[in-house]
Order: sequence, then structure tokens, then C-alpha cells
Amino acid sequence: MFKWFGKVNYSPYTKVGEFADFLKAGHLMGSRCKQCGAQSFPPRADCDQCMSGDFEWVEISGKGILHTHTKIVAAPTGFEELVPYTIGVVDLEEGGRALAWFGESIAEKEVKIGMAIQLVPQIFEELEEIKVYYSLEKPGTTWAKT
Amino acid sequence: MSRVGIIGIGHGVFGRRSDATVQELAFESFADAVRDAGIERKDLDASVIGSVPEYHKQRSLAGVVQEYLGLVPKPVWLTEVACASGSAAIRTAWMAIKAGVHDMVAVIGCQKMTELSTPEILALMGRVGEVQWESIFGTTFPAYYALFAQRHMHEFGTTREQLFEVAIKNHFYGAMNPAALFRKAITMEKACASEMVSDPLQVYDCCANADGAACIILASEERAKALSDKTVWLDGMGCATASMSVLRRPQLTGLPSAEAAANEAYKMAGVDASAVKVADVHDCFTIAEIMAYEDLGFCKKGEGGKYIQERQAYIGGKTAVNVDGGLKAKGHPIGATGVSMTVEIVKQLRGEAGKRQVPGADVGLTHNVGGIGQYCFVQVLRRD
Amino acid sequence: MDLGIKGKSAIVTGGSRGIGAAIAVGLAREGCNVAVNFRSHDDEAREVVGQIEALGCKGLAVKADVASHNDAQAMVETVVKTFGGLDIMVCNAGINWDGVIWKMTEEQWDRVINVNLKGYFNYNKAAAIVFKDQRGGKIVNISSINGLRGKFGQVNYAASKGGEIAMSKSLARELGKFNVNVNVVAPGMVMTEMARNIPPEFLNKAVDETVLGRIATAEECADVVVYLCSERARHITGEVIRVDGGQYI
Repeated sequence: MFKWFGKVNYSPYTKVGEFADFLKAGHLMGSRCKQCGAQSFPPRADCDQCMSGDFEWVEISGKGILHTHTKIVAAPTGFEELVPYTIGVVDLEEGGRALAWFGESIAEKEVKIGMAIQLVPQIFEELEEIKVYYSLEKPGTTWAKT
Repeated sequence: MSRVGIIGIGHGVFGRRSDATVQELAFESFADAVRDAGIERKDLDASVIGSVPEYHKQRSLAGVVQEYLGLVPKPVWLTEVACASGSAAIRTAWMAIKAGVHDMVAVIGCQKMTELSTPEILALMGRVGEVQWESIFGTTFPAYYALFAQRHMHEFGTTREQLFEVAIKNHFYGAMNPAALFRKAITMEKACASEMVSDPLQVYDCCANADGAACIILASEERAKALSDKTVWLDGMGCATASMSVLRRPQLTGLPSAEAAANEAYKMAGVDASAVKVADVHDCFTIAEIMAYEDLGFCKKGEGGKYIQERQAYIGGKTAVNVDGGLKAKGHPIGATGVSMTVEIVKQLRGEAGKRQVPGADVGLTHNVGGIGQYCFVQVLRRD
Repeated sequence: MDLGIKGKSAIVTGGSRGIGAAIAVGLAREGCNVAVNFRSHDDEAREVVGQIEALGCKGLAVKADVASHNDAQAMVETVVKTFGGLDIMVCNAGINWDGVIWKMTEEQWDRVINVNLKGYFNYNKAAAIVFKDQRGGKIVNISSINGLRGKFGQVNYAASKGGEIAMSKSLARELGKFNVNVNVVAPGMVMTEMARNIPPEFLNKAVDETVLGRIATAEECADVVVYLCSERARHITGEVIRVDGGQYI
């Protein structure tokens, strides 16, 4: 259910809602247009190239290069207990970009534009509700930690 | 093709206006503009309101503002494109006059922001990016510009101090502007000591939320020539967009929408960047002004830091920028900003800017950005 | 029914005798590697390991006092290292030390709570750490119908058995999102070592309470535990299943 995606989710109803179910099971999914083959991450149901609404899910590696980053100190509503947190924009290997938080495997002083990143699906552990997201980690980090 | 000119201007005091409703704020600058133009309200054919409705408790703003201004039963509607709403209103009025539908239109940019708390404003503004894939990570408006700043510093070596130089300049001029929210100069020490908002942007890199309103009266060439001898002409009007999502921008060191809008405006006005003597650009953050110097062609790509460091943006430099204090010192009542910028440039081109006058200013420019660059409006104004 | 747990690794506390031993062998029959702990009965522990290995699986006997937080952590780490992982945790080790409250010593209370309730906490915690990170696992805590009702002379036992039930429900909520099932089996009277010391009139009383007219064997309890550890029970969590022949309906 797409409402699981993110600490605060503003768009629970979307044609690509299954994304969150895949994420909870540990898979990062992009979309591929069945008509023209154009791929997209983040996934989109309606093809940007040929306008077809017929798409399929395709798993992506989550590998990428850090394009830019910032550490947010002043928080918006709903994120007050999480602050400060660092977000990064990553250019993905298969094309497209992702914006996400840095995870535990990367220390603040290691954050550098151009570094290799692995996007990893995550579950918010200490919440009773099911909430999922993805984080920016060192290459080689996996969803199942053992 | 016939020109469209600005024959009247009005500008209220920007700040925390808990003494007035948004329509009362609008009235202040509207009345000034009507008097400045030497017209009567009945001479107007229509009005367009630029404002961002989500910040107000009042629903459907345009109607209540226009009613208070005494313009019922003339046509009115709202234009909204985030922080560029004021310029969108101007463009709408310009299009109506150019098309011959109306002869004289009032444009009012008005905004109250302080009806909401700071975290509410932060959350609302953070949603001006892509809500589905970005806002869930707690993005904020400063965070987006911080992402641009980090990349700009990485690619071009722009420094922390160069960013603050922009703020220092704008506060220097803001101190001379009675309509500005902040009227004191600041020092590099004070700026460096300010709190971090989103690395590398600190409090002194960020413009402040404010309440306020500004108004201009536009007229067709024929009416303008008949009514005024100090008409300032809207000779170049550029408008372009960029993707809402930073994930789909071609680069994160400048605004593609600004570059495109500027090129369109220059072409229409028959000038290039070097002709512009004075400009008001959208410095919601210091980095935004540096990117604007580059996007508008005042300097080469990547040399924005050098431009401010060499004082080219001061009066006496290549192109004076934000000598009314910019968003930084004036404050940023988002719907009003585009109109406020236009009022300032009109003053400059009329020679009415007093201590802040750019000598010999005949061509001016406004650069008004919506959100994190989704929308950009560039206007080239000329005094004959 | 294919239970689908071939090759999985399990720990059964108190697995050297009684219900625990039956569970350990029952899991081995389904193809699991099983580790059991012992405090002092190392002969019996070794015998159970022998039965496990005879079924073609890996077996391990680890000396550990369930009341020790560190022993539990260490045992889990040993098992993960030896078997290459951990998929199933069955907490079964328990004692009783009955008496009316006005004569019950502090030691009587503390000992039963520490072995039974704290013991389950120690092992559930150590397993949860592994299961949460690997996004999967099964926990079954053996309680008793005397955690659902209160028997005379058992305030300490009742507290521990009742506590195990509520604790398991809470844990089910915490671990659900990580694909971990947490359930309770609550046996009635079972024919084990522990039961052999009970005077015949009390045994008969128990039989009379049942509707099936008999008390459970260890295997009958173990079968339900093994089922709850299997893939066939993957949508059951936070549940309490009595295996008491209708002794307490």
C-alpha cells in the first residue's frame, strides 16, 4: 500500500502503489513501458515517451553516484524527531535519479559528491505502523542484514 | 505590434502585518498605484490577483480582494505559480491588453504568510517539490536550494563567503528601503555565526517569510501615451518551466527555466544581457542570486561567485542587482514579490529611486521564480 | 502436509527432556538442525542430540542457564555460527515451585519468575535481534493453561505463565513487519518427568477435567509446536493454542 511509503506520506493513492509492497519485501522497482520500452525510476504508470498507460515492473540494482546532498537541520512538520538528517540525490546506474536519506553505513564526514552509493529498501523499525523507505548506503549493503 | 506600459505603481510595507487582512494590505498599494497613475478606479477594465491561496484562511482570495478594492463588477481571477504568482498575474494582464481584450488592468500581488506557524510553513513549502517521491523524506524549501548550492560549490568552487556577500549587499541596500522588512546592514561575522538551516545554507542565506502587497497599473500603448509621460514599457516577456522534481532536471547548478525565459525576453525586447543596467532577481536564497547572474547571462556559467565578489552587482558594477534589498532584505510575501520587483524596476527607470538610483538606467529586468525553479518569468522593461 | 522447514535451524530451550525433547526431535523429523540447552542434565541433552543426528540433521547441546541474559545471547551466537543461521526459537524451559503465598519465600518467587518469564525474555530478545535483521523467523513460547487460569498454590507460576502469553502478543506486534511469527502453545497436564512426581489423585483430577478423558503426551504437544514453526502456519501470529484435551475450555 503506497501509504506505507515514507515517514509522512502525502499521496497514498497512485497507479504505482505496488511500489511500496515491493519495497517492504526488499525490492527496488522501476517501471518499463510495455509499448516502447522506456524505463523510469521513480516508476510512473504513464509513459513519458509514448504516452501509453501500459507498464510493467522491473527490478533495479539501486547502484548510483551521489550528485549532491544537504543536511537538514530545520525540520518540517512530522519530521521533528528525526532532525538532523542528511538527504542526497543519486544518479542511478540504470538511469533516473533518487532522493533519499543517508543510512547507517555512511558516516557524515564520508559524504562526498561523486561517491558510489547503494540504494537499500528499509523498514521503520521502532514504529508500530508499517512504514517503508529506501536509504543511501555503502555499496554492498543489503536489506537483510545477516 | 503595440506595446504595453506600466503607468502606476504602489508598494506597501513588507513585514509581519498582523494589523491587516490580505485585502486591507492589497488596498494600501492599490490606492497608491491608482493615485500614481492619475486615474480613477472606473477607468480600469479588470484586475488580476497574484497570490498563493494555501497560506490564507480566506478561500478564493481574488473575489474578496477585488471587492474590498471596489472593483466589482469588473472581471477578476487569481493566478498561482508559487513564488512567481505576481509575475503570472502581470503576464496575464499583459496578454489581455496585447490581445486587445482590455485597455487598462490593475495587477495586485498580495500575500499573508504569518497566519501559519514556521513548521507549518516549512512543511507546506517543502511540498513545492515533488510530493510523491521527495517530500516523504522531509524535504524543505531551503534543502532544495542547499542541494543546488552543494553542487555549485563542488563544480565551480563557489565559496561560503561569496554566498554571504550576496546577503551583505542586499541588506546594505535594504537599509535604504523604507518598505523593506529588514532595514539594517549585516556583517560577514554575523552572517557566519548564524544558525544552520540546511547545510551549507544558514539563516543569513535565507529570505524571510513576510506579509505584504504591491500593485501596478498596466495600459495599452494608446492609453499609456495619453495618460502618462513616465510610462515604463514591458518590452520583453519571457516565461518557461522546468520539471517539478529535482530528479528530472538536466543539471542542478542553475535553473533551466530562468535561462529559457531570459532568452525569450531578451529576444522580444531586442537586447542582450549587457544592455540591462538594473535588475531585481529572485534571491529566495543567496545561492539563487548567484545562479541568477549566470542564468541571465550577466556573467559566464560558474562565475557567479566572482561576480558578487568583484562587486559587479552593486550600483556602479556591470549590472546592479537587487538594489531594493531583494527578497533577502524586503522579505518574501510570495504572491507579492513579482509585482514588488516590477515596481522597483519601474522606479529605477523613472529615476525615482533616490539614494538607490542606478545612474542612467534605461533598461531593467525582473526575474521571478516559482518554487524551486518550476516556473520562471523574466521581464525586460524599458524607458524611452 | 509438507511443513516446508527442511534445512532450517532451531533452538529449543529445556530441550533435553520432556516436552522440549519431543519438540526437538519433532523438528528434526521435519529436517531441522536443532540445538538444545542444558543446565545440569548433560547426559539427557546428549541423548537428544543423538536422536537428532540419527534423523540426519545437525544437533548441538549447549550449557546455558536460561535465566542468564548473557548465556542466552552467547548460545544464539554459537548456534548461528555452528548451524550457519537461526530460523526457529522455541522457549520451553520452565520450572514450578508451588506454595501458598503467605509461605512463599522471595527466593521461590524470584527463581520461578527468572527461569520461566525472564528466561523467555532472554531468548526471545536474542532471537529477535537475528530475526529482525534477516526479515524472517518463528518464535513459539510454551506457556500453560495455568497462565490462562489461576491454580491454587501457584501465584509465581501463574504470573510467569500469564506473563509469557501477554509478552508473546506484544512481541508479535513488534516483529510482524519483519515477517516473524510469534505464538504460544498452552498445554494442560502432560505426561512427563515433571508429571511423574505428582500424586495420583491430582493426576486423576486433571484427567477428569479433560473432555477427551486423558492427559497429553509430550509428542501431542510437540506436534502443535512444530506446526506453528512451519510454513503452513505462516499467517498465524499473536495466537495462543491450548493443547489440553479440553481441560480448560
